Amino acid sequence: MKDISLVKILPIEPKVPFISMRKIAAVLSVLAIIASIFLFTQRGLNYGIDFTGGTVIEIDTGSEPDLAKIRTVISDAGFPGASVQGIAPDASSTLDHDYVRIGIPLQPETEETGAQAQQIAMKTAQDALVANIDGFDGPQDIRSQEAVGSAVSGELRTKGALAVGLALLMVLAYIWFRFEWQFGLGAVIALFHDVILTIGVFSLTQIEFNLSIIAAILTIVGYSLNDTVIVYDRIRENLRKYKKMPLPEVLNLSINDTLSRTILTSMTTLLALVSLYILGGEGLRGFSFAMIWGVFVGTYSSIFVASPLLLLLKLKRGVNTGNTDAAVA
Amino acid sequence: MLFFSKWKITLILGALMLGFFFALPNALPADTRAKMPGMFQRTINLGLDLQGGAHMLLEVDLTSVLEQALENEKETIRQEFREADRLRTETIRVDSENDAVIVRLRDAADSDRAFALLRDLSKPVDPTSISQDKTTRVEKLSEKDFRVTITEANIADIQKRTIAQSMNVLRRRIDPQGTTEMTIAPEGDDRILLQIPGAKNVDDIKSVINKTANLSFNMVRKESNNEAAMELARRPGSLSKVPPGAAFYPEEQGGGLIVERRTKITGECLKTSSEGLHPEGNYPIVNFTFNIRCARLFGDLTQKNIGQRFAVVLDGVIITAPRINGAITGGSGFIEGSFTLESARELSLLLNAGALPAKLVIVEERTVGPGLGQDSINAGKIASMIGLAGVGLFMWLSYGLRFGTIANIALTTNIILIAGALSLMGSTLTLPGIAGIILTIGMAVDANVLIFERIREEAHLGRPPVNAIETGYRRSLAPILDANITTLIAAVTLYFVGSGPVRGFAVTLAIGIVMSVFTAVVVARLITATWLRRKRPKTLPI
Repeated sequence: MKDISLVKILPIEPKVPFISMRKIAAVLSVLAIIASIFLFTQRGLNYGIDFTGGTVIEIDTGSEPDLAKIRTVISDAGFPGASVQGIAPDASSTLDHDYVRIGIPLQPETEETGAQAQQIAMKTAQDALVANIDGFDGPQDIRSQEAVGSAVSGELRTKGALAVGLALLMVLAYIWFRFEWQFGLGAVIALFHDVILTIGVFSLTQIEFNLSIIAAILTIVGYSLNDTVIVYDRIRENLRKYKKMPLPEVLNLSINDTLSRTILTSMTTLLALVSLYILGGEGLRGFSFAMIWGVFVGTYSSIFVASPLLLLLKLKRGVNTGNTDAAVA
Repeated sequence: MLFFSKWKITLILGALMLGFFFALPNALPADTRAKMPGMFQRTINLGLDLQGGAHMLLEVDLTSVLEQALENEKETIRQEFREADRLRTETIRVDSENDAVIVRLRDAADSDRAFALLRDLSKPVDPTSISQDKTTRVEKLSEKDFRVTITEANIADIQKRTIAQSMNVLRRRIDPQGTTEMTIAPEGDDRILLQIPGAKNVDDIKSVINKTANLSFNMVRKESNNEAAMELARRPGSLSKVPPGAAFYPEEQGGGLIVERRTKITGECLKTSSEGLHPEGNYPIVNFTFNIRCARLFGDLTQKNIGQRFAVVLDGVIITAPRINGAITGGSGFIEGSFTLESARELSLLLNAGALPAKLVIVEERTVGPGLGQDSINAGKIASMIGLAGVGLFMWLSYGLRFGTIANIALTTNIILIAGALSLMGSTLTLPGIAGIILTIGMAVDANVLIFERIREEAHLGRPPVNAIETGYRRSLAPILDANITTLIAAVTLYFVGSGPVRGFAVTLAIGIVMSVFTAVVVARLITATWLRRKRPKTLPI
């Protein structure tokens, strides 16, 4: 049997001087982080109703929607700040025309309305649509409706931030337990780098930032860490193997040793994610976008941030390099 | 690493078989599935975002329940002092900020007796439990002043009972036949989670949630048609005009009446109710039957008050106020108001289900119609199939037929095991959950890639095939575990802190990680070992 295996194209011992590129990478990363923080503070994020509260209704008007008319109807119903947009259905959808997404900002919860404010707004908007828009006859033409009050959105905000913080902390604890502290710190700094850049990209693109993006960020944390740990593991192994080799060379060797794996895994993950991005439907587009970005950033940070940081953190040799296999087996 | 004992192989194959069998029902048509043994009938539950349905988070207004409890406590104290011999109070008032009732005596000489009486009123919160928690705590502020505070334990108990009762009433209202597969669960301290799959008309559900359905029959005060009532109807704020022991309620058709506050005929009196048509006028009415106790009470009441009017009050609004033409002793009757058939049906449903102990407010709603749900399922299916095909093809191209196939068998097994695990655990597959599976497809091959790359390296160092494979598997175990445990930590955090659909993502991701390690480290290794033993290759095809 004649076998093709393209992996043979990838050299077994690549010699890319990653570590010598660390200064350029450092400048790049610091600039990107500054830009992200600047964007985040100046431009902010386009939070979804999970975090802002408010109402989103998606309706099907039976044919191509008259957006201008819907806009007028919603505005006249008392929601001049609402957003109205037509969305093209996916190829696999049962719809053959655009549907409409109406976003009503959080309504103040007055003494009269109480926490019902969003529900009242939703009802008002729907009644106005039923009365004025041909082809929209009420509940049966609603694709989805969501209303989140201010208390719940506040809790979701806190929970989201807590989730990311807690995950970073627990991961730090695990790496610390399995490696030396320099590794733990290096990995977590790399993760902060990834999280900040992801938030930066969401601020730049103004793609809606909702609960599923929090899920994506945590997955990016997991993925990036996965990458970092693989490289770190090899660094630890090589430190034991080549006792005389200077640290920068050991780092470079380890990154190169694991390079083919890094490339292959990033490729398969990207393949799956791009499929999800293109075919997975409107509801998962933000998530898959974040994850695609995360694969790039995570891979970059493992090579150019997490590893060079070990130099900066002055990793000592020969202290804790004997427990790789023992601790696992 | 490459030797597998017989029992180990049996164990692995057994686990795989089990996984396959648990996954199988998902691929079978429903009637075939019904013939399988019960354990293997379970399929993956689709979340509301996929099958369509309503998800609502309801907040229970516990403050009003607590206020009511304080008011009741005040009434009880007033009653007890009145019945006690020569024990006079100056004031009894509610201090709602401190969850307490303040009692001031007229005469300091009664101090000890009053203290003893108040202490006797404090009962164990739960007589069946061994805990010593009492309902109230009595403090002596001065010789004449006492504070009766409702204890934390009692508040907690009241809240727990309120939530439980609300859930019962909700279930009876939304699903009177008990046929819908809906979820009602307490969430946090003061919320109820409501999930109704395939809800066709959310507006109907909301309308039965929004009504407390507090029904009572109150006698109308004789002087009720006078100017005071008229003025109250015009300006509802001027409640000081209401005489003691009475209450003003607006009428549905406008206007209002002053009625007796106290009544023994309430919604709890009703045995059954149903919608119907008026025997003469042929317009919609709500029929009802009282239970035996209330039938007698109502009989007595109507006997004594012939010629007077009584008001049927629902949630603070008078629906109707008929005049009593004769004693009603049969224990049944009907309510007429401005009903449509629809509203008569809804009211009888509400009355049958009982009153909610507190007002419910929808603080979060996510409803997905069946159209969007189906679209999401279709998109998810296509995306995962294309993703799977892409990754499979990529692995074949990268590692050739032999090792590519091993990786792809591991990958396919992984997907089947995820499906099996999801079915077995009865967990719910949500839209983000699908994302988790597709992501797993991409990341699952990582463990195999790590192993294969290591084998390649070891072979390159000059080890013979068997040795290279053996070393490759051994040396890649630690990084595989480290890398996957960290991702698992992220997934578990997400599960515990996340909410709703995001949890579904955490579940599939976590299962996917565990299964991918199992398939790569155990299943793929077993296949490799078998292949090695059969073929004894001189060189490795990668």
